[in-house]
Amino acid sequence: MAIINQATKELQVKVVYYGPAMGGKTTNLVQVHDHVQTAAGNKGKLVSLATSSDRTLFFDFLPIEAMSIKGFKTKFQLYTVPGQVIYNTTRQLVLRGVDGIVFVADSQYEKMAENIESFANLEDNLKTLKLNLAEIPYVLQYNKRDLPNAAPLEYMEFLLNNRDVQVPSFGSAAHKCEGVFEALNMITRMLLHKFISQGTPQYA
Amino acid sequence: MATLPQLIEEDIERLGGELRELLEKSDATTALIIDKGGFLITSQGDARQFDLTTIAALASGAYLANQTIANLVHETTFNSTYQQGEKFSMFVICVDENCLLVIIFKAQVSVGAVKYFAIPAVKRIAVQLQIAQERDPGAGLDLSELNLADPSEVFKRKT
Repeated sequence: MAIINQATKELQVKVVYYGPAMGGKTTNLVQVHDHVQTAAGNKGKLVSLATSSDRTLFFDFLPIEAMSIKGFKTKFQLYTVPGQVIYNTTRQLVLRGVDGIVFVADSQYEKMAENIESFANLEDNLKTLKLNLAEIPYVLQYNKRDLPNAAPLEYMEFLLNNRDVQVPSFGSAAHKCEGVFEALNMITRMLLHKFISQGTPQYA
Repeated sequence: MATLPQLIEEDIERLGGELRELLEKSDATTALIIDKGGFLITSQGDARQFDLTTIAALASGAYLANQTIANLVHETTFNSTYQQGEKFSMFVICVDENCLLVIIFKAQVSVGAVKYFAIPAVKRIAVQLQIAQERDPGAGLDLSELNLADPSEVFKRKT
């Protein structure tokens, strides 16, 4: 849950990139880290707890500060989870305190079952934390749109965004930084809108 | 899911006072109160030579991972971790359901002393958090000073 420090006028928000293994979650954070405009000193280091083969073992972590928000020093903490099925306990740990989610789906046809399984896993893990996906802002990012075997966007929408309330979705090619900032800015807007209209974060 | 009570400036000042006293008594270098979700709530001591934001994120993850491991081996009283270093060591202890106390201290400082002074400090910190919780558990949020210059693009890509 986001933290407001009224003493220092500081707002801290946690966004988690979730999705199947090898879908591009870490690539999203790398691209944000490499390309985001920040004032000097406002972008933290990208920390990756990964295996020797660059598979996320625990999480990636990138703290960045939004320049365009005045009045409050607004810090966004971006996390990824390990996508591999065996690391479910780790995903539960990373989800603790989550404010918003970017679900990074893999557009390749052969990955659809993994996308659906990962989305169901997200809902299950939120339940273990007494959270409900319907109450948490999230966006869908359909990654790897540049691959020849990418499924049509309509098909992915049918599989992953076929709910009572449809959420914003974006096609992306994260390794080219396409669709990365679009998804990040949308989840940010949704979170700020929620905070301002509902006033739910906690003071610190 | 609320993770923290509402803390006002008075709470932060008292928590800071507890941390300052702990640092003085234990001869530790830096003390942090962090949320188990990875947020840094407040800190005292030397903040220049450490990346406290990242330490908060990693310390909470490491603590929760160790707690899970402890549960797997049927350990029911787990409440702290100790990382022994050659330059600096770190002691992390549970404050309450939502918060941790992180203490960074020079390797030559006795961990026993740090633990000795940390335990009563944790109790006092928990009391202050409880006071805050009971003060106004359901109050809203004042973000009236928050001004989003360009809501369409909070983060801009370098051109």
